[in-house]
Amino acid sequence: MNDIVLTIFLPLLAGILLFFIPERLKTVKGILALLSAIAAGFFAVSLSRADIVAGTPGALSGGGGFSILGIDILGDLARYTVFNPDSLASLIVLFISLFTILILLYSLVYIKGKKANNYYAWVLLTAGCSYGAALSDNLILFITFWGILGITLYKLIPGSSEESSAAAKKTLILIGASDSIMVIGIGIIWKMTGSLSISGTSLNTDNILAITAFLAMLTGSFTKAGAFPFHTWVPDFTKAAPATSSALLPASLDKLLGIYFLAKITSGLFKMNSWLTLILLMAGSVTIIIAVMMALVQHNYKKLLGFHAVSQVGYMILGFGLGTPLGIAAGLFHMVNNAVYKSGLFLSAGNVEYRTGKEEIDDLGGLSKAMPVTFISTLVFAMSISGVPPFNGFASKWMIYQGIIDFGGGSSIACKLWAVWLGAAVLGSALTLASFIKLTGGIFLGRRYKGLENVREVPVLMWIPVVLLAIICIVFGTLATKVIVPGLFMKVTGNFSFSGFWDSSFVSLLVFVSIVTGIIIYLLTGIRKFRSEDSFIGGEVIQDETGYPTPEFYKTFGEMGFFSWMYRKAGEKWFDLYEMSKRFVLWLSHQVSEAHAGVLPGYVIWVFAGLIVMLLIMI
Amino acid sequence: MAANLFYFLIFPGLLFAGITGAFLSWFDRKITARVQFRKGPPLLQPFYDFFKLLLVKETILPKKGSPVLFLLAPVFSVFGATMAGVFILLPLFNIASGFRGDLIVIFYLLTIPSFSYIMGALASGNPLAAVGGSREMKLILSYELTFLLVIAGIIMKAGQQFDLYSIIGTQQQGGAFIGSISGILLFIAALFCIQAKLALVPFDMPEAEAEITEGIYIEYSGAAYAMIKLAKHIMLFILPAFLAALLLGGFRTEGINILWSILKIVGTVLLLTLLRNTNPRIKIRQAMSFFLIWMNLIAIAAIVLIVFGY
Repeated sequence: MNDIVLTIFLPLLAGILLFFIPERLKTVKGILALLSAIAAGFFAVSLSRADIVAGTPGALSGGGGFSILGIDILGDLARYTVFNPDSLASLIVLFISLFTILILLYSLVYIKGKKANNYYAWVLLTAGCSYGAALSDNLILFITFWGILGITLYKLIPGSSEESSAAAKKTLILIGASDSIMVIGIGIIWKMTGSLSISGTSLNTDNILAITAFLAMLTGSFTKAGAFPFHTWVPDFTKAAPATSSALLPASLDKLLGIYFLAKITSGLFKMNSWLTLILLMAGSVTIIIAVMMALVQHNYKKLLGFHAVSQVGYMILGFGLGTPLGIAAGLFHMVNNAVYKSGLFLSAGNVEYRTGKEEIDDLGGLSKAMPVTFISTLVFAMSISGVPPFNGFASKWMIYQGIIDFGGGSSIACKLWAVWLGAAVLGSALTLASFIKLTGGIFLGRRYKGLENVREVPVLMWIPVVLLAIICIVFGTLATKVIVPGLFMKVTGNFSFSGFWDSSFVSLLVFVSIVTGIIIYLLTGIRKFRSEDSFIGGEVIQDETGYPTPEFYKTFGEMGFFSWMYRKAGEKWFDLYEMSKRFVLWLSHQVSEAHAGVLPGYVIWVFAGLIVMLLIMI
Repeated sequence: MAANLFYFLIFPGLLFAGITGAFLSWFDRKITARVQFRKGPPLLQPFYDFFKLLLVKETILPKKGSPVLFLLAPVFSVFGATMAGVFILLPLFNIASGFRGDLIVIFYLLTIPSFSYIMGALASGNPLAAVGGSREMKLILSYELTFLLVIAGIIMKAGQQFDLYSIIGTQQQGGAFIGSISGILLFIAALFCIQAKLALVPFDMPEAEAEITEGIYIEYSGAAYAMIKLAKHIMLFILPAFLAALLLGGFRTEGINILWSILKIVGTVLLLTLLRNTNPRIKIRQAMSFFLIWMNLIAIAAIVLIVFGY
């Protein structure tokens, strides 16, 4: 119990205290925040080391016991403060603390020159509420923490320009609306079972009320994690917010929590029926494809990453939609992997932005020699997210694919359509590769642009977190099948066996052998004597304007029939739920305002018409 | 572990696949020459080419690019091709080993060479290489879905198994998958995917010698280009071998069957060569609609036929 309370409330209290330290002492605030995050992380680790039998709910703790000077301070509230540090929650808590610490470390330098008031305080509040949401077993307590996270998200974007305040508003409205829909779902659950316990409830989805509750909860989870059609806040947020905010929330913590809650509702709170499975799988596939297609045509690298933050959620939803232990473990593994490489990518983007001040891929190029550490890390992240073996993204995608193939042996309609889900997932992976070739190629490879001659590598405090994340990508990839999945994820889902074959560690060894052999060949053939020459373009002298920048790569797609229609409609925001509902509300208010002609006889007619209708009803 | 290293480096991996692939590339060149009423190169020409590049020719690095990635990309492409080759050839030669990869793994490993070429091309900083890289990526995007649908069809035919050993086993007991309408459709779609994966005419736009002077390979020379040649030779062998394993019933290695197994590979390469010699290069947009619309339709039709048992 003590560990749980400390994990949650230490960052919360420290965060509130930080509000009282003046903004001038930003670095001091940063160091204090880092220290309290490390302390909370220490308790989180001790939480996850507690012995928990696989697959069982952890020992519920809570219900009183908070006494100060012999007075039970919670009193009647105690029945709401129930925590459940089961194996899944402690896994989530572990990763929340990892990301908080790394991102705070990175922020020490990055945020110094930025205009972001009370940044550290909001980060700590975010961390505390995330711990709270992951650990609480009571739905009211859960939605409280979850709701505060929406506000911290809003505060982590500086509303300095018109664009960023619009993005912040959009985020707040979408998240807030989804939270209120969740409250309806919680109300229905309470009405049906009389219980608010997450671990103690298991509803059959065979009646309309339970399905409504499920869909309401699903909306909350989808919006938080950023899945279609509630994803539209993510790209706008990542474009406008500082890289650290994007790395903290949409890239890692929101994914961890949104997917954690998805895990809870699909394999605990509700018993899924085959139609809901179909809906989940469809949502997952559509999310993967739509978001990655949008990412393909972006020029702003932060927005591009935002679309990928959406697209990757689709894989996790596919994993959970399958509902098998393999699928759930795959979903969880992909969630962790995604959080690692996506926050790494945002931090690398932060590095580039920090040194160049540019946010468009078109303005950048050839930074690989100037920023070697950032370049190599970005390359590792890019290969991980695109599922290049033997990196971690491949391992989790491989698990999802074999989950889908196994699932295809079933008899329901969702099983029969397995090739569709597999096709969407694999095509999404190829499209991801394409857009990351654009990103890494456009920023780091090619010829260096004018004005970028003096770019240097970022300070050590900024590249250490990035390198650590890259190392995690490699380690999770190489040890995936032997150590990581059995060690971390089978604890949560129970034991299962892979139906495919992939020897991640030996193949990684072979990669290493190949690289060494390659280097030996180059050494033997005289690498020192290699001559350097400028590019050959048919004998012409190369000009500054000569080039084929990577953002132009996929224009061919935008020109093809169906895709050009889709991109045009996307440009008109047809697929943006927020914009569409905004348009609808404006249209409605316009219709109402039409009635207000300002002519007295008109109003008199309305009054009498209303009177007649009332009379008719009353008769 | 030592056995696995042997599989990777000697047989059926790097050395074996490289040598076989080099002979196949001689075969490809010889047939091309015959089609064009030329005499064609001697049998060992691919080896002369390879060793000349590796040992004699100097390697020139791009001045305004990323030399390290430029040099590492060919290494990765050889790795990807070899690794995929090992996972394809071990089941084909029926070598029982704990070291195996399933269809998904093979599918992903087969993408590594193309991916490495693109990265190497971009690292060279040459605009023509960038054009080639962009075309290569668009080509991948076009055929990847078709290739996956072919594999999905085969998984369905094999009863939701996606291990090459059991797929070959199923065929050797119940007849090769190509012996049905759906099997023929899958073979057609797969053949075009392989053509595009090997970047042979009509899908050679990433290299397009006449317009962008070898595109993605324009800056490569010497040892680095030798490795690219090696990877291409290996791919020329393992992709037909993959097709043989998926649809043609795999290899049998006893008696006269050896000849029959060799014929499967040589016949597929012959088909690829004839395709490339009788067609002009198409534009990238045409290739995209060819795969995204027509080939996908064929593959989907095959899958629907499989569902109904044809």
